[in-house]
Amino acid sequence: MSERVRLPASFRDPSGFLFQHADRLYRQINASYAPHYEEFIGSGLYQSLVDDKWIIPHSDVTANWDLPEGAFKIIRPEMIPLISYPFEWSFSQLKDAALTTLRIQKKAMQFGMTLKDSSAYNIQFHRGHPLLIDTLSFEHLAQGKPWIGYRQFCQHFLAPLALMAMRDVRLGMLLRTYIDGIPLDLASALLPLRTRFNFSLQSHIHLHAAAEKRFAGKSVKKNTTMGTYGLAGIIDNLERTIKKLQWEPRGTAWGTYYAMHNYTEKAFEHKKELVKKFFMETKATCVWDLGANTGVFSRIASEGGVPTIAFDMDPGAVEVNYLNTRAKDETYLLPLLIDLTNPTPGLGWANKERTPILDRGKPDAVFALALIHHLAISHNVPLDNLADFFSKLGHWLIVEFIPKEDSQVQKLLAHREDIFDGYTRDHFEKIFGRYFKTRRKETIAGSVRTLYLMEKNAK
Amino acid sequence: MAYLDPGSGSILLQLLIAALLGTLFALRTYWGKIMSFFNKLFSRQKPGEDNE
Repeated sequence: MSERVRLPASFRDPSGFLFQHADRLYRQINASYAPHYEEFIGSGLYQSLVDDKWIIPHSDVTANWDLPEGAFKIIRPEMIPLISYPFEWSFSQLKDAALTTLRIQKKAMQFGMTLKDSSAYNIQFHRGHPLLIDTLSFEHLAQGKPWIGYRQFCQHFLAPLALMAMRDVRLGMLLRTYIDGIPLDLASALLPLRTRFNFSLQSHIHLHAAAEKRFAGKSVKKNTTMGTYGLAGIIDNLERTIKKLQWEPRGTAWGTYYAMHNYTEKAFEHKKELVKKFFMETKATCVWDLGANTGVFSRIASEGGVPTIAFDMDPGAVEVNYLNTRAKDETYLLPLLIDLTNPTPGLGWANKERTPILDRGKPDAVFALALIHHLAISHNVPLDNLADFFSKLGHWLIVEFIPKEDSQVQKLLAHREDIFDGYTRDHFEKIFGRYFKTRRKETIAGSVRTLYLMEKNAK
Repeated sequence: MAYLDPGSGSILLQLLIAALLGTLFALRTYWGKIMSFFNKLFSRQKPGEDNE
């Protein structure tokens, strides 16, 4: 029997923990949490959340295990193909995750329970929808008690969303530094003055930050209560506040994102055809589209039922992509905000609490369309480093080479010295040939671009 | 089982805003009922009138 390996992200909550066993994920529920878990199941809250697709379904597999001391149950949650983190989400992804958390809390209250935490890391996108993955987040609701998860909700959701909507969308990246959410005094200092005249933001962020500072280290009577409607009122107000926060990619009309290529409609259609043809040959079951923009090419894979992750470093492109997946209720496509020149590293305790993006999944096909010139020229990454990187990522690579003659590359070179003597099609083929065998190679009609299907060399 | 520190400031702030937001919430929840109560009262006072 192989060993149980406890997941390094699962240590804060004494109610239980996640572990891996023979490539499957399990959750141990500790005896101390038993009454809450029984209420969670017995009250019908769990089933109701499953019906709404707001929580990850699990099966109780206790019977198959010799329970260790202190254990109450072992459950096996449905697997999520790729775990993503809040700072890798676009504005609307984070907003939907926040609203899902509040909806879950409202439903829990109807069943006499409450969320005991409200970490954004407990929400994941699964089959196109945000849902709660922490089955042990509920406890019995003591009438009139303040919400334990309130501060965490403000730090993980409200503060970043307000900063993104009202100051700069890039401030969402503060979540990468502050693993337990953006400190409210920092959010308060960064938000524009007008937020002081908004009752909700004034209360939940500015006053909240001031109260934290003023009462730090002071104790509060344990039996303080806030009336029958207090908690419902706070949750309702948070929901209204979050719903009102808006962000639109600047200067779009969504359309401009689609029209950001310089080649003709004919070339664009031909490129789609070629990508589809090459992709069919790979028979891939998991695709990472790097530099996916709004996901036009990602959908070649995802619309065929292949789980696909669409990475882009532009918050606007990821936002447009997500809004499209939501509008069309797409199940197999997950857009994520990732800068390939600085992808998510290991974070948190011992750098292991949050896993580097490149260790979180294993695509068998990688798309790198209209990407190489950005990395090689704008970011000065040598072709050899690129080929090495792609070869470690997946078995198949569908890659586009755009030569210097192309106007997009000309634009990149317009105001700088051309130090890229090696940036030629021949050299590209030679370098990538060290890592890959070229299986297909075709010129995109009406352009100077070449599309390749490459297969990783056998070791 | 509450493993998070809710923070003293957070709790006190919740107590402060709960009074107002709770009242608002209760009013909103029961607004329909209050209105229909007065509507019924109103329509009872004028029996026989058309409900235009």
